[in-house]
Amino acid sequence: MTPQSFKKTGLALLVLTALALPLILRSPTYLHILIMLYLYAYMTTTWNLVGGFAGVLPLGHSVFVGIGAYTSTVLWLQWGISPWIGMLVGGCLAGFVGYLIGKPTLKMRGAYFALATMAFVEGVRVIVENVDKLGPFKLNGPRGLNIPPLPAGESSFLAFQFSTKEPYYYIILFMLMGVAYLTWRLSRSKLGYSLSAGGEEPEAAEALGVNVAKCKVTAMVLSAFLTALAGTFLAQMTLFIYPKSVLTLDLSFELAFIALIGGRGSLAGPIIGALMLRPVTEFSRIYLSATLPGMHLILLGVILIVVMLYQPRGLSEPLTRLMSRLQDRICSTKTGGAQ
Amino acid sequence: MSLLELRNISMDFGGLRAIDSLSLSIDEGQILGLIGPNGAGKSTAFNCVAGVYKPTSGEIWFDGADITGAQPWDLCRAGLARTFQIVKPFASKTVLYNVMVGAFARTDRTDEAEAIALDVLKSLHLDRKKDFKSGALTIADRKRLEIARAMATKPKLLLLDEVMAGLRPTEVDEMIDVFRTVRDSGVTIFVIEHIMRAIMALSDELVVIQFGRKISEGKPEAVAKDENVIKAYLGDEYVAS
Amino acid sequence: MDLIFLLQDVINGILMGSIYGLVALGLTLVFGVLKVINFAHGSFLMVGMYVAYWVVAFTGLHPYLALVLVTPIMYIFGYLMQQWLIRPIFVAERDVREPITVIIVTTGVWYVLDNLALLLFGPDYRALSPNPLKGEMIELGEILISTPKLFGFTITVLTAAGLYWFLLKTRMGRAIRATSLDRDAASLMGISQWKVFNVAFGIGTAIAGIAAVVLVPVYNVYPTVGVPFDVKSFVIVVLGGLGSIPGALLGGVIIGLIESIGPNFMTSTWTEAIVYGLFLLVLFFKPSGLFGQKYDW
Repeated sequence: MTPQSFKKTGLALLVLTALALPLILRSPTYLHILIMLYLYAYMTTTWNLVGGFAGVLPLGHSVFVGIGAYTSTVLWLQWGISPWIGMLVGGCLAGFVGYLIGKPTLKMRGAYFALATMAFVEGVRVIVENVDKLGPFKLNGPRGLNIPPLPAGESSFLAFQFSTKEPYYYIILFMLMGVAYLTWRLSRSKLGYSLSAGGEEPEAAEALGVNVAKCKVTAMVLSAFLTALAGTFLAQMTLFIYPKSVLTLDLSFELAFIALIGGRGSLAGPIIGALMLRPVTEFSRIYLSATLPGMHLILLGVILIVVMLYQPRGLSEPLTRLMSRLQDRICSTKTGGAQ
Repeated sequence: MSLLELRNISMDFGGLRAIDSLSLSIDEGQILGLIGPNGAGKSTAFNCVAGVYKPTSGEIWFDGADITGAQPWDLCRAGLARTFQIVKPFASKTVLYNVMVGAFARTDRTDEAEAIALDVLKSLHLDRKKDFKSGALTIADRKRLEIARAMATKPKLLLLDEVMAGLRPTEVDEMIDVFRTVRDSGVTIFVIEHIMRAIMALSDELVVIQFGRKISEGKPEAVAKDENVIKAYLGDEYVAS
Repeated sequence: MDLIFLLQDVINGILMGSIYGLVALGLTLVFGVLKVINFAHGSFLMVGMYVAYWVVAFTGLHPYLALVLVTPIMYIFGYLMQQWLIRPIFVAERDVREPITVIIVTTGVWYVLDNLALLLFGPDYRALSPNPLKGEMIELGEILISTPKLFGFTITVLTAAGLYWFLLKTRMGRAIRATSLDRDAASLMGISQWKVFNVAFGIGTAIAGIAAVVLVPVYNVYPTVGVPFDVKSFVIVVLGGLGSIPGALLGGVIIGLIESIGPNFMTSTWTEAIVYGLFLLVLFFKPSGLFGQKYDW
């Protein structure tokens, strides 16, 4: 078996398992856990477009989640527009906002950019928390917006609400596979090369024809659009959004931390990070928060510090090295290998 | 028709006048050498041409268009490429990757960029090392890579900034061959250099600057005998090998 | 609107603003020397406030006397943080001009410290007790000035002056200034860069400790008390110019004035939004702040 076919079979197995899981695990609780896992993997992957590829540190990315969530919800509650369309509108709005934020901030030094993104999400949260209406749009301030659920047992694709967990599972799975594929294609494209070159040696990249600032803004817009889609999904899953759920620094930090621990800039890093860390944080939250509140956040923070001190590029590098050693073992034994 | 023309450019940094009314021109297919004592303003002149600085006064014309103050990436598209005195490879990436970044200046397609890159690497004898991590290369190979990257952008004019610095004599000879390869492929070269034997052998013409001002220009043999030039270099230890 | 009350607001704004400046002072010092922004600065302040709270609770000392204990404790805390957490990153990313990993790690420290405090001390708001300064006011005609805030202003000025003197006149101070101007040149001159970093970080944290003592009589202590100060410190430090002492103080006063005068014209949340907006404006148009990048020590 060649390395390529090893990778391909491995990937195929993973995808098939993911597709088949709902048939094996019929419990809605487990499905919910998996759905949230995929959602976080999705959001960290879209974060990675800016945080990894563009080489800067966005610490306010949840603002796009919030924009997506609020846009589709407001459009549905006030005008009955299907959340699918709302999703796209939210995405476009987020992309536009991403452009507005990105254009001035992506020229700044790393620390300033991080601060600016933080200031932005906090500013937006403060405003949303304190206005009931923004023009014709009812935002309901800190009380948030409730999406009335369909009568029990009913599902509607158009309304983006389903009576069982399975449809949500497949939707987010496809979204995740979509962005994973997109990221893979991007890393092999002109934009991908330009971004990583611009992140590593901006002067050299510019001398080679790369408009570094423009590439970074493009990455930001793309990331903003995709992240907003997750916001709509979250809104439809939980049927209740409020500023402290989707517009917080906490969520921004969590996304950044997971992606960083997993390995920013790499394809699988954020996904690996989410797959490893979400179970840890979820279980510690469920079992420990009664006796030791906030423990799951402490864990996340400690893991982050330890990983950054010893493997600043994230855990995906050592893990992929392990994988290729495993791969070599398997490949050489299968072909009776020349040792 | 001259490919590159500097018309009376001056460059001030605060109170310091780094370049004073410098004019020169390069014809297509030429190799023009810029020499002068340390601190004369050679790299500053390069940076003005390459769009890193905007000259305080004067104009720079390239290929019939005014490029004064243009951005580096636009200049690259227009056919003006440069290398850096302190090489800046994308150290965590492979040699092939580095050159492909340059190749993307001419195409949007990854497969085309790869083909162009492989071509350039072959012509500069770096193709065997295409999958090496560029940060692990020797200094001579890194300089070669720097040129390969710039060549992949298919330039009309290549600015080479002290490429020979830090090379051993045998490496210098190899680099002279590289220069010849570049020139033979039709690229005009504007080069700053301290290694005299190299620049005397290669250049069609020389421009000598001191304290930001041109003090001599012409064919290498004539410039070498020019009194002003000899005075300017007196007291400096140069590798006149 | 009454001019007297406006004047009172202005005075309050200046006093409170100077205290904000004191909080930001440590941050700007650390940036000027290490060229990194310590995202955990607010959490350090929180730690200082808890330390001050417990010192007073156990010893019954007047809070300002507690300074004698709080300051060295905070200095050591900062020194060790730098030594264990930040130095390894600097060593690993030696050739990077701006190690972003430090930002990431300090953000992690922020997270851990805040939640650890939540875990250990619970979410309750604690008010300093015994608090001899509680509610004390000075009356100037019709204007009421809060005594602890006045003291805070005085302590701020004294601290800033002390820091200035330290940097100008002492040997270590000069070493710090040299390192902040050119790290490599300074180490070539025989100045141990790591020692300087540790000391600078220690001093910056100690100043946060002083600020904590100043705040504790007028502010309740709770685990996330550091967060609003953290954000304000960033704004102040950018506004005033990273690395500038007068900048930090002036920036603090500006924010203090906005916060005290603003509510006369709009709700306090819009005041908060204005602070963020101002921050973004400064970042966009004059990122070097009021006093630029020249480190006027």
